[in-house]
Amino acid sequence: MLYRAGASHLGPSMSVIEILDAIYRSVDCGRIRQKAHNRDRVILSKGHAAAALYATLWRHGLLGDLDPRTQYCQEGSVLAGHASHMVPGVEHSTGALGHGLPVAVGCAIGLRSAGVEDARVFCVVGDGELQEGSNWEALMLARTQRLSNLTVLVDANGISSIRRTQDVIDLEPMLRVFEGMGLTAREVPGHDSAALDAVLRESGQPSVVICRTVKGRGVAFAENDPIWHYRSLDEDRFRAALLALAEAVPETEEVLA
Amino acid sequence: MRSALMDALFDRMAHDQRIFFLVADMGINMCERFEAAYPTRFLNVGIAEQNLIGVAAGLVNTGFRPFVYTISNFLIHRAFEQIRNDILLHNIPVTLLGTSTGYDNAPLGPTHHIVDDWGPLAAAGGELDVYCPASKGYAGRLVARALEANRPAYVRIPKSAALPDSCIQDMQHFPGDPGASLLIGYGSTAGTLMSARQDDPSLGVLILQKLLPIDLSAIVSGYDRALVVEDHFPASGLFARLCQTAMINGWRTKLVPVGPGAHALTVCRDSQSYFQRFGMDAASLLRKANDDLRV
Repeated sequence: MLYRAGASHLGPSMSVIEILDAIYRSVDCGRIRQKAHNRDRVILSKGHAAAALYATLWRHGLLGDLDPRTQYCQEGSVLAGHASHMVPGVEHSTGALGHGLPVAVGCAIGLRSAGVEDARVFCVVGDGELQEGSNWEALMLARTQRLSNLTVLVDANGISSIRRTQDVIDLEPMLRVFEGMGLTAREVPGHDSAALDAVLRESGQPSVVICRTVKGRGVAFAENDPIWHYRSLDEDRFRAALLALAEAVPETEEVLA
Repeated sequence: MRSALMDALFDRMAHDQRIFFLVADMGINMCERFEAAYPTRFLNVGIAEQNLIGVAAGLVNTGFRPFVYTISNFLIHRAFEQIRNDILLHNIPVTLLGTSTGYDNAPLGPTHHIVDDWGPLAAAGGELDVYCPASKGYAGRLVARALEANRPAYVRIPKSAALPDSCIQDMQHFPGDPGASLLIGYGSTAGTLMSARQDDPSLGVLILQKLLPIDLSAIVSGYDRALVVEDHFPASGLFARLCQTAMINGWRTKLVPVGPGAHALTVCRDSQSYFQRFGMDAASLLRKANDDLRV
């Protein structure tokens, strides 16, 4: 998708892909497809990882006739470079950081006020994104309102836009930061599907799941290098990325085939 | 003025379970009855205006019709990107209720002079209704209007009413004598315009209670000169919008801006002082209308 489109955001897409896949495994995709009032809400606040979101929606049969493999970031396609609510299955357009979590909190409050008890709200934020103050406004309200239907997943890949997060705004130890706010916090390996599945089965207090990830994961030359937030793949790098993925993530071979 | 709107909102919430009232820790002696009567549809999100707007957008996602209240400078300026992205780009029915507009809170200083709110917001794109009630009768009807319109709206609430309760139209035109100037105003300038007309009944006066969308062509283009009086920067306010319309449609009307040219940073004064400073008081308007414009 990224190579065909000449698009960027390889790094943040590869760090979040397992998180998104786990979320959509845990929700009732049928209700989302029907846009049922009691559907689970999933909001990708780090909207620049739209490629990962669209791939996941497609994998779970939520994109309708759209095919991100050929349509992502293509002229005339609705599948633009940041998550758009014009795309089936996308609750809210994001791209400017710090917007998704307040909206997710609003969804959680709305579901509770409407008496909907069988729907949950999931919001994925980046650890760099947490530098936006609006997230903390939302978290403080979530805690005060004891929004037990809200789960915030932090794609903690350790890199914000151009630098390591700890060199820009150091939130570590993040677990203690969230716990100190009175939130239930967990820390999981963010590329471990089984661990993600397990933590997503939990519910109760408004919870934060810190998913420890690697930016650019699976593409050796891109891992932990901030430039791959912005750089697009040329043909040589594309081939190299495919080989790296096949090596790092064996099941990729099946997809690539 | 605020009470008329809040009374209407309170009453409507009893019948319309979709309405959700959000405040950002403003509205003492106003919110309490909402909280008591509608505990699941009232929420004080705290002093957090960005979150206020995001939460409102989330409430729409779950079927509610949020009315969002705080002082306009915090509501519009602090949360501008949230309004643009989360409301206007999504074209969702969130109604923004902003008070203390213009120089209503003048002595509090320039951070509380709200003279640059609706213009920039309207220029952010998207469909937006902007209301500026000048009568309690009109204000009381805005809750129903916003619900019916079913799209983003901003209500710019001035402190006092300049028109009688019976004025419930989007605009109130008091035609002037042939050749006389027209005074156009809204918000807290409406009272000044009415005072000016009282002193000189030959002047035409047009009080707006709705700023967007509205078509003033039929009235304004009939005058040779119009003073556009606003407690908002003319460069981004009604004057700028009317200039565009005039250019496109080839009006013969000469439009004259009357409003603050910049933020008033150095002096702490009441609102009347700022009106005088920027030529928005009745005496200044009469001079401009009857002397300057006839040169």
